[in-house]
Amino acid sequence: MNYCKKCVYSSVSVNLEMSDGVCSACKTSEVFESLPKDFWDMRRKKFEEIINEIKLNRKSEYDCIIPVSGGKDSYYQAHKVVTDYGLKPLLVTYHGNNYLPEGNFNRDKMREVFDADHLVFGPSVDVLKKLNRIAFRLMGDMNWHAHCGIFTYPIQIANKFKIPLIIWGEIAWDISGMFDPDDFVEFSARVRHEHGLRGFEWNSMLNDERDKLVEKDLQWAKYPNDREILENNTKGIYIGNFFKWDPNEHAKLMNQLYGWLPSQTPFQRTYRLMSNLDDRYENGAHDLLKFIKFGYGRASDHASKDIRAGLMSREEGIEMVRKYDHVVSDDLQYWLNYVDISEREFWETADQFRDPRVWWIEKGQWTKFDIWGGSSSYGYHNLDEVSLKRYIR
Amino acid sequence: MRKNRIIPIVLFKDGHVVQSKKFREYKNLGNPLLTINRLSEWGADEICFLDISRDNNWQGGRSDLNERTPATFLEVLAEVSKVAYMPLTCGGGIRTMEDVELRIKNGADKISLNSAIFCNPALIQDAIKEYGSQSVVASVDVKFVGDKYKVYIHGGQTCIDQDWKDYLRRVEDLEVGEILLNSINNDGGKEGYDLSMLSIATSLVSIPVIACGGVGEWEHFRSALTETEIDAVAAANIFQHQDQSVYQAHKFLFVHGINVRPPRLLETNYLKVTTNELL
Amino acid sequence: MSNKICILDYGSGNVASVYNMVSRLSSAIISNKASDLENASHIILPGVGSFGASISKIREKIPLDALFSSLERGKPFLGICVGMQVLAEFGSEFGKYEGLGLIPGSVDELNSASEKIPHIGWNNILIQQNHPLVNGITEKDDFYFVHSFAFNPSDPKMNIARTNYGADFTSVIANENVMGVQFHPEKSQVSGLTVLNNFMGIQ
Repeated sequence: MNYCKKCVYSSVSVNLEMSDGVCSACKTSEVFESLPKDFWDMRRKKFEEIINEIKLNRKSEYDCIIPVSGGKDSYYQAHKVVTDYGLKPLLVTYHGNNYLPEGNFNRDKMREVFDADHLVFGPSVDVLKKLNRIAFRLMGDMNWHAHCGIFTYPIQIANKFKIPLIIWGEIAWDISGMFDPDDFVEFSARVRHEHGLRGFEWNSMLNDERDKLVEKDLQWAKYPNDREILENNTKGIYIGNFFKWDPNEHAKLMNQLYGWLPSQTPFQRTYRLMSNLDDRYENGAHDLLKFIKFGYGRASDHASKDIRAGLMSREEGIEMVRKYDHVVSDDLQYWLNYVDISEREFWETADQFRDPRVWWIEKGQWTKFDIWGGSSSYGYHNLDEVSLKRYIR
Repeated sequence: MRKNRIIPIVLFKDGHVVQSKKFREYKNLGNPLLTINRLSEWGADEICFLDISRDNNWQGGRSDLNERTPATFLEVLAEVSKVAYMPLTCGGGIRTMEDVELRIKNGADKISLNSAIFCNPALIQDAIKEYGSQSVVASVDVKFVGDKYKVYIHGGQTCIDQDWKDYLRRVEDLEVGEILLNSINNDGGKEGYDLSMLSIATSLVSIPVIACGGVGEWEHFRSALTETEIDAVAAANIFQHQDQSVYQAHKFLFVHGINVRPPRLLETNYLKVTTNELL
Repeated sequence: MSNKICILDYGSGNVASVYNMVSRLSSAIISNKASDLENASHIILPGVGSFGASISKIREKIPLDALFSSLERGKPFLGICVGMQVLAEFGSEFGKYEGLGLIPGSVDELNSASEKIPHIGWNNILIQQNHPLVNGITEKDDFYFVHSFAFNPSDPKMNIARTNYGADFTSVIANENVMGVQFHPEKSQVSGLTVLNNFMGIQ
């Protein structure tokens, strides 16, 4: 198994390219770090041009849409647009029914601390539970509904309300170095479809044998077609393209200025307290599935980001990986109760998605190489004879 | 009246679409089928699909995706040609007539040859004899080194010790249909095409020339089409940065009075969730 | 009455593209068998390649008797690009070759004045005579051309549409049920589909 020399990603990490032993995410990060001040000045000016054009042309309607979850990034986006530049956005939230208490608090507080209207949308909980199960079986990800809702609903609203500009936050793919800072990337339906939704759309959810859904249940999940997008001139830009993105700084600042709260209790699968309060499973069961599939989890993501930001050494990062990546967190049980699935079914289904480039079976246990050297076992497998064959080395 | 073409180039490496910077750094963008489908829906004039894989190191691994992951480049090509409603040029690693035949058979309308021009010119002649000049594109990579232009083959690795102008004339003598001329220096740089290189090249040959390498904004297309005699403009990276990119490129050039096809969407929905018949 | 299109395959590329497009509009097969030719409602002869290479392959692979008798019975036939050119009496690409002689005329190098050869790219057609094949086509429609040679029909009435590239050349030709287009309708998006659909409407 090849690991990046600088961070803790392996070559199997989603969408990564390795060259000379360094991963594309580190490379992109280096490029970002070495950007001179006048690059950011130029970018800020570009942002201001966009803002000014809005101020000139939009008299009585909302100036733009900001998709928000209530997290630190959402606050930062609203902070920039409302506090720094004085626009009146429509905040739009997709509510997947998985908020932690701090997440609820932060989300509802947004329209108190920012002068903005806030539209919070949530699908029927019955539909959500079905989608949790269907997506889990289809692709090993119970949170597919959230990726879909977050990247679809605000765009529908933009078209419906005739608000062309949508302001997103972090360039979503900086996690793998797909693009460079000077690739002026906008929100892309293709990236949403391929990377956000893994190629599945709402109609993929209608064919499950056990859970029945119909088109009416998934109105919110339909991405508008090209014609609608062009008619409204809808486009999504990323704040991360105009202002240097620093999540740790954002968390501190948002807490200071607006009373944004990080998690009051530690997570079990990562050391960070400031991420993913809008969805209890993102750091938990959903992330556990990433470990089951690809052998790494959120701790690896956060450690890699913090190593690149100079906040952690690679050795410390490796310690985080060792401590957190494999943990079976308590929220798994919470989820199993929520969707009424047995633990046995969970493991049998999850095991179907293990990547044979990472995992093999030794003495009946799932085994993989570890970044700190050697290999370890991580629990007994739940496969039948036939499926077993892929994993014998 | 014949219009100038705007040609997206899709680079394919080890199972994925990638961006290329200076022929060295590659960034993984994802599924070729989806990429080409989108470009086709946005009304691209033509698509150039290049295989720049080196070690056949397929990354088809994930089982949690809805995408089919075909096992070979040819299978990808066959799938891709079903979703491209415009001509498809296919290039990269073509060494024998069998390579040529397989690509045409699997859906390529034209094939692009690069290193073979130098290493095996007989192949070019055979391909032309079999499929006609118009099916053969000569891809030439040029780098400005020191004080002159030099032709490079093998993906920018090997320098040809010959005057680049003679090389271009030789290419024309082989009777290929057109030349895809790429600037290695400008590749991925977003500063625009190497206009002087393009001007010199078009004054040397009388077959169509397609410009490539360096586009950062639509304006670069405009300046190449107005300031040089090139017949078509090509770019790779920029078409991956925004939705309806091809449409926007056509729109920009069309409203600026450049002789291109007007912007037009192809009304299929790549998400395949509505049944939008084409007529 | 449902259509069944027979797409002839003489081993020179491009059949897949034609099939992909045509089968979206009608049931179609790729075949050289005399029986399929006879049972088809329409016949298409695609074309990528040089005149000489194509005509010899056609003579080798395609049951010409079956083809000619089908055509004599009035079956609609569409030749595309080189598939149109081989309908001529003679072609002069890389030497002098005899064509199928279904439409009087010869295929010669494009007389394009100062324009570059080959003619590659999107261009429009100017209709000279009304014909169901080009119903609904206007100057705003663009088609994809890629060729260095063009058909010069002896009978001007068979010249359905011309295209300008330096000088004018024939881009659409028809002799009763035998039709040809110099451009690639299967690669010409909406305009191309219109032509193909028109073709399928001809009985």
